[in-house]
Amino acid sequence: MEATAREPGSGGVTRRSWASWLLGTSLGATLFAFLYPVLNYLVPPASSEPSLSEFELDLKAADVPPSSGRIVPVGGKPVLLLKNAAGELSALTATCTHLDCTVQYRADRTDVWCACHNGTYDLKGRNISGPPPRPLTPLEVYVRGEKIVVKRA
Amino acid sequence: MSEAKRSSSSAPDPAPRAPGESRLHAWARDRLGWDDLAHLAAKKRVPVHRYTIFYYLGGMALFLFLVQVATGILLLLYYRPSAAEAFESVQYMMADVPFGWLIRSIHSWGANLFVGVVFAHLISVFFLKAYLAPREMTWVTGVLLLFLALGFGFSGYLLPWNTLAFFATKVGTDVPAQIPVIGHLLSRIMRGGSDVSGATLSRFYGIHVAILPAISTLILGAHLLLVQRHGMSVPRSVEGKTRRSISFVPDFLMRDMVGWLAAVGLLAALAAFFPWELGVKADPFAPAPAGIRPEWYFLWMFQGLKYLPAKIFGIPGETLGVLFFGALGAGLLAVPWLDPRGKRGIVVAALVVLAAAAILTVLALLPVPGEAKP
Amino acid sequence: MRGFVVLLLLSLATPEAGGQAPPKPPPAINGCVDCHTALEDPRITPPAKLFADDVHAKAGFTCVFCHGGDGRQEDQEKAHDPAKGFIGKPKPREIPELCGKCHSDAALMKQYDPSQRIDQLAEYRTSGHGKALARGDTTVAECANCHGAHGIQPVKDSRSPVSPTKIAQTCNHCHGNAALMAAHQLPSDPYEKWSRSVHYRARVEKADLSAPTCNSCHGNHGAVPPEVGSVANVCGTCHVTFADQFKLSPHWEPFKEMGLPGCVACHENHEIVKPTEAFLADGAESKCSSCHEADSKGARAAAEMHSDLVGLDREIRRATQLADRAAEAGMEVSKVRFDLVAATNALTKARADVHLFRPSAVHAAVAEGLKVARGAATGGEARLKERDFRRRGLFISLGLILLSIAALVVRIRERERSTREPAE
Repeated sequence: MEATAREPGSGGVTRRSWASWLLGTSLGATLFAFLYPVLNYLVPPASSEPSLSEFELDLKAADVPPSSGRIVPVGGKPVLLLKNAAGELSALTATCTHLDCTVQYRADRTDVWCACHNGTYDLKGRNISGPPPRPLTPLEVYVRGEKIVVKRA
Repeated sequence: MSEAKRSSSSAPDPAPRAPGESRLHAWARDRLGWDDLAHLAAKKRVPVHRYTIFYYLGGMALFLFLVQVATGILLLLYYRPSAAEAFESVQYMMADVPFGWLIRSIHSWGANLFVGVVFAHLISVFFLKAYLAPREMTWVTGVLLLFLALGFGFSGYLLPWNTLAFFATKVGTDVPAQIPVIGHLLSRIMRGGSDVSGATLSRFYGIHVAILPAISTLILGAHLLLVQRHGMSVPRSVEGKTRRSISFVPDFLMRDMVGWLAAVGLLAALAAFFPWELGVKADPFAPAPAGIRPEWYFLWMFQGLKYLPAKIFGIPGETLGVLFFGALGAGLLAVPWLDPRGKRGIVVAALVVLAAAAILTVLALLPVPGEAKP
Repeated sequence: MRGFVVLLLLSLATPEAGGQAPPKPPPAINGCVDCHTALEDPRITPPAKLFADDVHAKAGFTCVFCHGGDGRQEDQEKAHDPAKGFIGKPKPREIPELCGKCHSDAALMKQYDPSQRIDQLAEYRTSGHGKALARGDTTVAECANCHGAHGIQPVKDSRSPVSPTKIAQTCNHCHGNAALMAAHQLPSDPYEKWSRSVHYRARVEKADLSAPTCNSCHGNHGAVPPEVGSVANVCGTCHVTFADQFKLSPHWEPFKEMGLPGCVACHENHEIVKPTEAFLADGAESKCSSCHEADSKGARAAAEMHSDLVGLDREIRRATQLADRAAEAGMEVSKVRFDLVAATNALTKARADVHLFRPSAVHAAVAEGLKVARGAATGGEARLKERDFRRRGLFISLGLILLSIAALVVRIRERERSTREPAE
């Protein structure tokens, strides 16, 4: 037994060196399995900024026509992005405070309306008629370069 | 030219290469001079007896600590320590960073596993009475490491800045305020202000990634040195019967490694099947949700304080509770002097304390009727 | 002695006599209350005690303003002098006019509450209650039955029986009394039915006072059930979109011709439950099959709308389940959930469009929603794939770890063996 174990280069793979090989290889492979995620982790993803309290919209400021409004997703929630006749951008949370339907902008009346139960808000989000008990929350909007950025107040 | 040759070091000629030793190995050995250490390591032996299995706990605690350090350093690359960005940066890691979910979940699960193993190590050392002379300072440094581990857990818990962490920290920093005289100052220092805020986050961050690691390095170094100096302690009950021993390197280490690999596998499985929750971003102005509680290793204190009456002999109950915990901590540190001859009394006392802590922890986990799950 | 004090104090106050004249500044002491309270008689003491908290008392009105008589007199006969206008307990038929004496007087009401209406009496006379009372039926409601007589609070005060939170129960006092309602050939279950409706749930469970209660649809003082032709208008005061659509639909004219009560024909009047697609199907809850014969054009239109709506609902559910499963596994699903909100909005709109009773309109709305819902489902599936990728990676790593452990164990065993058989 030992003879085979001890003789180096005795021709043929000895049991001891087979076990050592297995150990070395499996440990090496395991180490690689640990390093693979770590090395990938070090490479930053495409969106290199975490979305913080501000969200850059996939929308250019120039693409929003004046006197219009549209719903955009901001942090997973619907937000009503408005541009008045003078070209100023504003934003309101678009979840109706009555029963959570998504509100819409009405160009003909320049107000914000909820189709579910006829709730109406003004362009600052104040609830002016119908069932909504609370106003919509205004959000800060500004333009950075070409893109529009919405900030959670 | 010949001068250059002569000017070779006044150090003794390097030892010749051992058979089978690679060139690289010999080169390193000459420059690092690790021969002495290598000899010490080769000499170190671990006694084999009925309780040998408990010897693995210390190494496991060290390994898990290193896992925390490694994952913690990786988390540092993406984490942002401000109230405005902390939560979002963790969310980003969980959702967008490749394998970010893995690193973060391993760190969170690892923290709990680490504290659990440290407790197990403490308990086994205690019951095996490995604190007896000359190992008193090993015990003291070990208990200090336990406190440091709890400090890591407490400070790290706040860092994701979610509702649960925020309010648990509020409650947790209220407790030291009960200490007489210095309590409020202590609480203010911990919080970086009168209330838990972004300042608290900055402070806890600094404590978690710099202050505690620095202190831990020193105390851990001392602890390991002392363990090496005194060797593995053998419980009195098996003293005479121990004849076998195995070498530390490589035999004990290989067995250690089995445990370490299993621990890593467990952490990876937990990360994949039970990813650590993120929750909702903390809103200091919202009311505390029902069911707020700290991590499991603090639950016994949390629950215990709840049962104390408002006043005992005119002193606020909570103050007495906090002082009692302080006394327990001091008692823990003083164990080698409370039981210098390894008698039975302290074992009974410890069992009572452990049982009480276990019962309180279970009580804290029971759902309260009408309370929502946090 | 007490009478002397009363007289002394009264003499300092302005003298006041009968209650039929317009009010003068209130006297310092209300003699009626003193006597009636002291007598401790179950018939006359409670009203006197209640009146202390009455809104009229706080405005300075006293018993004599309604009951007549002389409040300064201690002697019962003198106090109860019919010559001074004393009427005792008013008869039910007299009460509306009694209250209206002040409450229909614009100049008077302006002195106390300028924004309060003054047409309650006129309205009351047009109501079912008013007309019956005029015919001599005293078993119907008059002012005091609803507002109380002596402890009257303003309508906004939650103690008032006609406050928004209490009014339904007040109506139910009579309208839930089977014997009383039978005498008037009216059903006695409106409250019971309403308490099973979505409006009740909104008001009581969600504290949403914008949901209707009895007076929202029936009016306050001029209470009559809406005419069949007006039902759509009444419901349409809140449910604008549906009413508008209904008026544009092919049902509008025929319903008017047949005298069917608009919205109530399908949705009931009091027991308005949450509508479901089952209304369009041909099962037990079907509304369409009560008029449209099987296989008629109408029945087929209903079936088409039904299958469209059910299809979208199913797709949304499927996507939601996928998102939930992914979220449970720790994946990030906020974009998927946002899309699902949009899809649910489309479903809500499609359900509203049913009231146009034209399958093409519903189909268009459903098509929009399906596009979004399918996108959301794809997103959910992608996240589940990512979860599977993670698990596969885990199993590979675990496999490697187990292999390493096995290799270590083999090596350990080997070393044990070799140390037990030391080299010679």
